Amino acid sequence: MLDNLIREGKATMGIYESDADQVYGLLAEFPNPGALLHAAEAVREEGYRHFDTHSPFPIHGMDDAMGLGNSKVGYFAFLGGVTGCAGAYLLQWWTAAVDYPINISGKPFFAVEPSVPIMFELTVLFAAFGAVAGMLALNGLPRPYNPLFYSDRFEGASDDRFFLHIAASDEQFDSEETAAMLRRIGAQHIELVQDDGVSDP
Amino acid sequence: MADSVSSNTSLSWLIDPLESTRDAAEQAYRFAGDRRAWLVPLILGLALLTISALGGWQNPDDFFFAYLAGWSFLLTTALGGLLFLIFHHLTRASWSVVVNRLNETLIWAFPLLFVLGLPLLFGMHDLYHWTHAELYDPSSSHYDEILAGKRAYLNFPFWCVRMVVYFLAWTIVSYRLYTFSVRQDVDPDASIPAKLRSTSAWGLPLTAVTLAFASYDILMSLDPHWFSTIFGVYFFAGGILSAVATITLLALLLQNLGGQLQNTITREHYQDLGKYMFGFVVFWAYIAFSQYMLYWYGGIPEETVWFQHRLQGGWGWHSAFLLAFHFVVPFLILLPRATKRSHIIMSVMSVWVLVMHWFDMHWVVLPVLRDSAGIHWLDVTCWLGLAGIFGGLLMYRLGRHSMVPQKHPYLSESLHFENA
Repeated sequence: MLDNLIREGKATMGIYESDADQVYGLLAEFPNPGALLHAAEAVREEGYRHFDTHSPFPIHGMDDAMGLGNSKVGYFAFLGGVTGCAGAYLLQWWTAAVDYPINISGKPFFAVEPSVPIMFELTVLFAAFGAVAGMLALNGLPRPYNPLFYSDRFEGASDDRFFLHIAASDEQFDSEETAAMLRRIGAQHIELVQDDGVSDP
Repeated sequence: MADSVSSNTSLSWLIDPLESTRDAAEQAYRFAGDRRAWLVPLILGLALLTISALGGWQNPDDFFFAYLAGWSFLLTTALGGLLFLIFHHLTRASWSVVVNRLNETLIWAFPLLFVLGLPLLFGMHDLYHWTHAELYDPSSSHYDEILAGKRAYLNFPFWCVRMVVYFLAWTIVSYRLYTFSVRQDVDPDASIPAKLRSTSAWGLPLTAVTLAFASYDILMSLDPHWFSTIFGVYFFAGGILSAVATITLLALLLQNLGGQLQNTITREHYQDLGKYMFGFVVFWAYIAFSQYMLYWYGGIPEETVWFQHRLQGGWGWHSAFLLAFHFVVPFLILLPRATKRSHIIMSVMSVWVLVMHWFDMHWVVLPVLRDSAGIHWLDVTCWLGLAGIFGGLLMYRLGRHSMVPQKHPYLSESLHFENA
């Protein structure tokens, strides 16, 4: 149960587990961004959930095609903002009124009014931290090792090639049938990627 | 100017400077409502204003202050709309083209507002302490050295001259932006977008400076000893927020009550209007707080006096209410993406923002008159009366032309706009 949750959670971050035979999944290449977009739609409609797309640039509409829904980064940013705001309040109250109170021209040791700029600044700063950290976590980054790197053609994903990867951890995955489905929807080049570095074109 | 659309010459120039181009509008962009759409608010407005005038007969003080708060609400909204439109022309924004005409309809407001402002001249003595002659007489016990020093600027004739200059400047800028755009519907001259941009380029600094001085003359001089250099920005911040809310509300009313512009203004546009609304809620709070914090820190009596009035005698509750409902609550409501894409929530928030903007104007104006807080019935009837007249004539103007700049070069881009 817990293992399953962790596996599904990691899958949403693009981290998939290999199956018992060390098969990581199928990597299919498509000729252009449009073909990749339609392929993602088709794969989702076939019922696959553990798949990802790789392209050298963002493709408009890909989120919808893959059925990703809204980004959850906003929640991390909001939590960061609330933390920053509360932290700044406590920091100023504790340092100025508790730990080291100094009378400055008769002003109160602590007051909300002059503390607001710091609260504002730390809200913004921590919201940005939350957004960046949340973005990295939700993408499963940094990730120096990915079995897809064993594929020689995959280098083109940062240059001029468009890939769709269906992970072996998907419930529907079957190396024969899935490959046939990919061929049917227009994949030009399909290879089976294995976690031990053996790539089978 | 080669006139493919002839000008309105009679008194109705105040309401719309151009003859109707309704017949040239595409069917989908033609206002389908009947005359009730503008007659009802207009008549309600006139009725409320008549009631206010009768009520004000006995206590002119209450009437004039209430009238000034309501009038300032409309003036700031129109000025906010003018600058909102200018920003979009200058940045060559394409997303906003489908709501531009609603904005343009809003900004042809200055001749009417000038006329609606004339009654205030009869209340100058009640409204503005600096108009009292005895302040400037050294032999009088009311002699005020500070105001005598400001007399070169704060005197009735010069005040009137400045008002005329401001309204002339705003009328010229809005006339050009409104008429060029409407002419484009009928006669798509390729030079029109450039004319709109160049008018915006010189209109922006002109409007900004006149707006700031108008805020000093109309509202800040109610308390003539007090001064704040950020007051013009505060005036602008509330106004542009109110303008965004007006445009949003107008679009939502046309869609949900009139069944019009259904595929023209989409959730994507509402999300962007919502972003602006959210942004200007924050901007308003930022400016309001900047003004407050510096005076709090300085702690100099002549500067804190303005806020002191607004924290005593129950006005403190108004200030707290303003902080909570002009900033904190709308901030949290408008933060998520989903709320900005919901017709219901955006309708509620538009009305909310408009009510809070009036509350803000009320908070600026009324403490000058009353030491103890409260909302007099005249405050509400004057505001709604003026808003009824303003809104009714706005709807009338909207029905006379296409509701979308149908020949705008970026229209198709705007129609297919999507938030990334």
